[in-house]
Amino acid sequence: MNIDEIFDFTSFTIDREPHIVLDPQVCVNCDNRGCTNSCPARCYTWSEEEKKMTFVHDGCLECGTCYVVCHRNAFTRWRYPRGGFGVAYRMT
Amino acid sequence: MSSAYSFDAIVVGAGPAGSSAALTMARAGLKVALVERGTFPGEKNMFGGVLHRLPSLEEVFPDFWERAPLERHIVKKGVTFMTGDSTFSTTIEAGNFDRPPYNGYTIFRPRFDRWLAEEAVKAGATLITRATVDELVIRNGQVAGVTILDRRGELTAPVVVAADGVLSFTAKKAGLRQPTFDPGQMAVGVKALIDMPREMIDDRFGLVRDQGFANEFVGGTGGVRGGGFLYTNYDSLSIGLVFHLGSLRTSGKTPYDLLNAFMEQPQVDKMIRGGRLQEYSAHVIPEGGYAMIPELVGDGIIVAGDAAALCNATGLNLEGINLASHSGVLAGKAVIAAHQAGDFSRRGLQVYRQLMDDSYVIKDLKLYRKAPHMLHNDRIYNEYPELVCGMMEYIYRIDGAPKENLSKLFLKTAREKVGLKNLAADAFSAWRAL
Ligand SMILES: Cc1cc2nc3c(=O)[nH]c(=O)nc-3n(C[C@H](O)[C@H](O)[C@H](O)COP(=O)(O)OP(=O)(O)OC[C@H]3O[C@@H](n4cnc5c(N)ncnc54)[C@H](O)[C@@H]3O)c2cc1C
Ligand code: SF4
Ligand code: SF4
Repeated sequence: MNIDEIFDFTSFTIDREPHIVLDPQVCVNCDNRGCTNSCPARCYTWSEEEKKMTFVHDGCLECGTCYVVCHRNAFTRWRYPRGGFGVAYRMT
Repeated sequence: MSSAYSFDAIVVGAGPAGSSAALTMARAGLKVALVERGTFPGEKNMFGGVLHRLPSLEEVFPDFWERAPLERHIVKKGVTFMTGDSTFSTTIEAGNFDRPPYNGYTIFRPRFDRWLAEEAVKAGATLITRATVDELVIRNGQVAGVTILDRRGELTAPVVVAADGVLSFTAKKAGLRQPTFDPGQMAVGVKALIDMPREMIDDRFGLVRDQGFANEFVGGTGGVRGGGFLYTNYDSLSIGLVFHLGSLRTSGKTPYDLLNAFMEQPQVDKMIRGGRLQEYSAHVIPEGGYAMIPELVGDGIIVAGDAAALCNATGLNLEGINLASHSGVLAGKAVIAAHQAGDFSRRGLQVYRQLMDDSYVIKDLKLYRKAPHMLHNDRIYNEYPELVCGMMEYIYRIDGAPKENLSKLFLKTAREKVGLKNLAADAFSAWRAL
């Protein structure tokens, strides 16, 4: 299973409006960045060269992991997507 | 929406807790709104895969097992201790498990949750889908309804049942749950659904008719605290790993890399070979047990299911749906009583607390309250699988050397792998926890 191909095996109805919004400034000074390895959908990417956190909500499984592991409350918004948007499981 | 949208009760979340609550209240003639953010109930929900017996729903529908969309019934249960390239497994298969009332089934949440919500609708509940609850409406210091994200107006009712799952923003907004979670009390599960022809599953796992197999794994999580599972559905396998978030966060390892490594472990690979990945999913689990339960009632609000952290994770079983559904039924009963008394204050709803304290839900969580602590012992995930696999390998290896006395061998291996003091301490804490 290649996580970069998540859209090949899990369905999403992507919302233009992100349900999770991050203040990337908080991440610059984070001593742990547990979100980058813990997120099961690899939505968080830290670039060491640019000292920059990138968050992409498109493949978010709405699992809640980042909400729990972020110990600096870097979120300016953390809620579920608007009704009908987001991940759509068929069988699991 | 206008104020015409007023109900006797609003249930947030159409998972097993919410639908059970709505069903109970609707059957008693209350006007209930069941509000779900998915396009259908269950669309957002995943889990490992085993539905344990649901005594509370069997009371509501005596023919529950005939009606619900179930997969295989579990006749065989196994535990596998696993290292990088060897495994030691034990299984129990009991005739008892193969006869009704069956002990447990595999299910798919998108089907099961949808069915249960439809039963609530048949009983008279109003299901509102594609509706993400946003804020609580507070009147005179009491919860009196909810607003929906992106929709004007509000839904009002004298009481709200928060059944919105583990992160329960509803309970948070009512000030009932802690504002932040302790990663040490939470786990995340990742799962791959693997398509496989039915006959292949029957042959490979030694099953006939609709028999199913449920296996748990100790070890195999790359040293991160947690465990694995593999369950058989009719024509697919559910395979996954559960990680404690405190441990995963600092491990630097990713859930998908660990899942890939688990699926490539030679003995696991043999079980899933020939299958095709159909779906990948993930969700957090409240694993803090009794110590994590928030306030169950507030003024105009009741909390049920995962929203109240009602999950029992002992390591060999993960029970959640049965506890969610039972607490949902009790929440429904408490609301019915509050309507009779006309009192929706914290005091009026306190009957829920009493019903819960007398139920197996709270009793079991209390009984197993030390299990979360025991599961935070790293030796379980590294040294013990090594110990067990190492010993069994030694016992079965025939290389001409005389065998040592078994108990001597155990102590020797244990001394090397675990240390005798630790072994004694772990045995003691395991015994106290279980
Ligand atoms: C990996 C994993 C493995 C598990 N394995 C097992 C197992 O084998 N057996 C078992 O019995 N249990 C298992 N569990 C636990 C079980 O899944 C949960 O305990 C159970 O789903 C709890 O039910 P619930 O109704 O309380 O919450 P959920 O099932 O989480 O339902 C909550 C519902 O609320 C909706 N919702 C949330 N927020 C809002 C909002 N703001 N507005 C509207 N709707 C909202 C959600 O979409 C969802 O439908 C497992 C869990 C996980 C994650
Ligand atoms: S853990 Fe929180 S603060 Fe740290 S990098 Fe991740 S999101 Fe940013
Ligand atoms: S909710 Fe889960 S999948 Fe979504 S960004 Fe957070 S950790 Fe990743």
